[in-house]
Amino acid sequence: MLLRYVGRRLLLMFPVAIGVTLLVFFSIHMVPGSPAYTFLGPHATKTAVAAFNQEWGLNRPVPVQYWFFLDRLFHGDLGESLFYQSSVAQLVLTRLPVTLSLLVGGALLSVVIAIPLAAISAVKSGTIIDQIIRFASTAGLGMPSFWIGTTLIIIFGLVFPLFPVGGYGTGFWGHVDAMFLPCLTIAISISPQLLRSLRTSLIDVLGSDYVAFARAKGTNARTILLKYGFRNAAIAAVSVLGINIGFLVGGTVVIENVFALPGLGQLMITSILDRDFPIVQGITLIFSVVVILTYLATDVTYALLDPRVRL
Amino acid sequence: MRFNRSTFALVSAAILTLTTTAMAGAVGSGHATGAKAKVAAHAAIQRGGTLVFDRGADIISLDPTQVSDNESIWADECIFEPLYQATSNGKALIPDMATSYTVSSNHLVWTFNLRHGVDFSNGQEMTSADVKFSVMRVAAKASNPWTFINADIKSITTPSKFQVVITTKTPWAPLQADMALFANGVIPNNYAGETAAVFWQHPIGTGPFMVKTWQKGNELELVKNPHYWQPGKPYLNGVNFVSVPDDNTRLLQLESGSAQIDEFPAWSQVSELSSKAGITMSLFPSSWTQFLGFNEQIKYYKDVHVRLAISDAIDRAAIVKAVLYGHGTVANSQVTPALWDYDKSTPGAQYNLTKAKKEMAESAYPNGFSTKLLVGSGNQNELTMGQIVQSELAPLGIKVTLQEVNGAQETTLQDGSQFQMSFLYDTTDIIDPDELMTFAAAGGSGAQGTHAEFTNYDNPQVNKLITEAEHIFPIASRKKIYDQVQLILAQDPPMAYLFYQPFAYAYSNKVHNFNVYPTGNYHFENVWLSK
Repeated sequence: MLLRYVGRRLLLMFPVAIGVTLLVFFSIHMVPGSPAYTFLGPHATKTAVAAFNQEWGLNRPVPVQYWFFLDRLFHGDLGESLFYQSSVAQLVLTRLPVTLSLLVGGALLSVVIAIPLAAISAVKSGTIIDQIIRFASTAGLGMPSFWIGTTLIIIFGLVFPLFPVGGYGTGFWGHVDAMFLPCLTIAISISPQLLRSLRTSLIDVLGSDYVAFARAKGTNARTILLKYGFRNAAIAAVSVLGINIGFLVGGTVVIENVFALPGLGQLMITSILDRDFPIVQGITLIFSVVVILTYLATDVTYALLDPRVRL
Repeated sequence: MRFNRSTFALVSAAILTLTTTAMAGAVGSGHATGAKAKVAAHAAIQRGGTLVFDRGADIISLDPTQVSDNESIWADECIFEPLYQATSNGKALIPDMATSYTVSSNHLVWTFNLRHGVDFSNGQEMTSADVKFSVMRVAAKASNPWTFINADIKSITTPSKFQVVITTKTPWAPLQADMALFANGVIPNNYAGETAAVFWQHPIGTGPFMVKTWQKGNELELVKNPHYWQPGKPYLNGVNFVSVPDDNTRLLQLESGSAQIDEFPAWSQVSELSSKAGITMSLFPSSWTQFLGFNEQIKYYKDVHVRLAISDAIDRAAIVKAVLYGHGTVANSQVTPALWDYDKSTPGAQYNLTKAKKEMAESAYPNGFSTKLLVGSGNQNELTMGQIVQSELAPLGIKVTLQEVNGAQETTLQDGSQFQMSFLYDTTDIIDPDELMTFAAAGGSGAQGTHAEFTNYDNPQVNKLITEAEHIFPIASRKKIYDQVQLILAQDPPMAYLFYQPFAYAYSNKVHNFNVYPTGNYHFENVWLSK
């Protein structure tokens, strides 16, 4: 049943992704601004502009250009960047690991931060410790991620030089080292919502009849928290995390910018500003696939955590 | 050349600058010990090390004939060298791949004698065939941005291994300077036997550095050219050009020592950086002039009195203070003092509201009019200048509406002359005045076809003088003509000349001999790092 659901969702991914590229393709062509002028700079004479448009097929009607894009796509080719004049797939693939590690690392760190704090807050509900944790999470919600990132760089890059000040590093451990602060920035942004959701669910679960029954049976507090509390409370938290990751896919650009990370977000912004249509299309396609897969993973996790959920 | 797209960086920088500069300043003061610990200027040269150079954007292409953004141009100049190069003050030319030249009595035939013993980074000897191939490439395609520079070249021949003869269609005074343009940098004939596509993956030049890796959109890693022709140079093992769009991150990387040069720190950071320990903040004289351009297709701007009134009504000092935090100078001419054709005595319009009102009264629109000023939506500098202009033209009865558009659209509208007023700027790529004059002053269908930088200004006297200067050889005679042009442009301005903007660089005190030329490029073969 689950496998059939996953298969169906994976098949649906194709028309959704194509639909997204269709919307983006036509909307970016509707926005005024020509890549020829940006590429050629101030010496863009009419002849040079016409030659550039001819060379890149930009003088064709937009639907025809989209048809060529689809044709190339079904042959496994994302096209060529107008500016870098090299393969879009190559450009995107070299940057994809940066963005993915930012998303995955950020999500993991947010879980690592949120779970223990939510547990303490729920168990100590109403106490001063609970108040402090809730206040801190509210403060985290109110801080913009670019400010958090810059503050972390100043503290952990300059005052206490424990981590590099931006960049992706070299080698596996170099990447881990370089990605810690960006991931922490994401975690600080996401974890308050996760924490609050988990805390509320945990308080509900810990006050439920079946937990009272388990306590009456003499089950210890740790087992109750881990076996009954988290498993049930996690259902809502997984949805919160999944939705946040979905939003983050398009929002990584801020973090990438602050930490000078060569990820997809940064490439997407410069390509939109330059009207480098093939790159915008390629990244949109990748982003839509990542979002769809994230939501699919969220649904599957939801079903695995709660057998009552039928997919 | 045009400065690259950092609209996002500009937006974020504008938001972040005050907060983060204050925070970073607090951190910086922690290790400041009072007087700046500058390393002695004449310390013994140390070899080795890789210099990390942070810039707002990455390069677009390694092919110098295909680029118009400065990030690409200045990086490409570390790899390829043309026949001549500008002196560091931008006033003269010195030999590079050529050692000397002679020109025929009719000024049509130029014979360049090439430097012997120059090898490309692959060890192959540079010869006249390479020079011919490279110069011919510049205008090989209609879409090449630098075709106009070599437009007067009629033919190129190579009578010997170390001689190149260029015949021009007319006596062409700027030719030697044109041969110093980066786009005319020398690459091996026929791409050293490779296809163009393969060649540009790992291009070969005669410059002090060669490409190790290029992660497109992120980092260009250059390493020392082992065959470089200048004995003992370069001193550095390599230069890494890293794209760091955020102003604050560049500054923090410089402070932490993970980068040694920060290109174009935010103007708001310049004063603070000047007094920061371990950092040198330099403002290098540049060829950058900022204008307010009037499109003469709009009826109001056909009237010279309106253009003069607006020019007189703008308080340039206030703009320099608001936009550059005082780190620029008020302009009196289209040309900056860094270039040899600058005329100090040019009576360019200056802030004088009484005179502005008088000019307006003499115009066909004494009661004013409504107009639009094009500004980039993410460009904080233009938005600030726009607001100042808006308030300063109000006393003349000119109601200015800011027309905010995104960067790419702004470029398209500017280059297509689809604006009423717009902020424009110039920098030059060669030290000869011809590039700027034909771009920003010549009207009609002048050499570059830009109609006086898209303003549609067309003054026959200016056009005639600019053309005349292209064909006169004693430099003193040319200077007199350019002085005349500047005088006419002051009396009949196509634009309001606002200010001269220096090139701002913050760099570690460990960096020595770093110098930026008025054309914006730098010579890393002379730079060294102290331990």
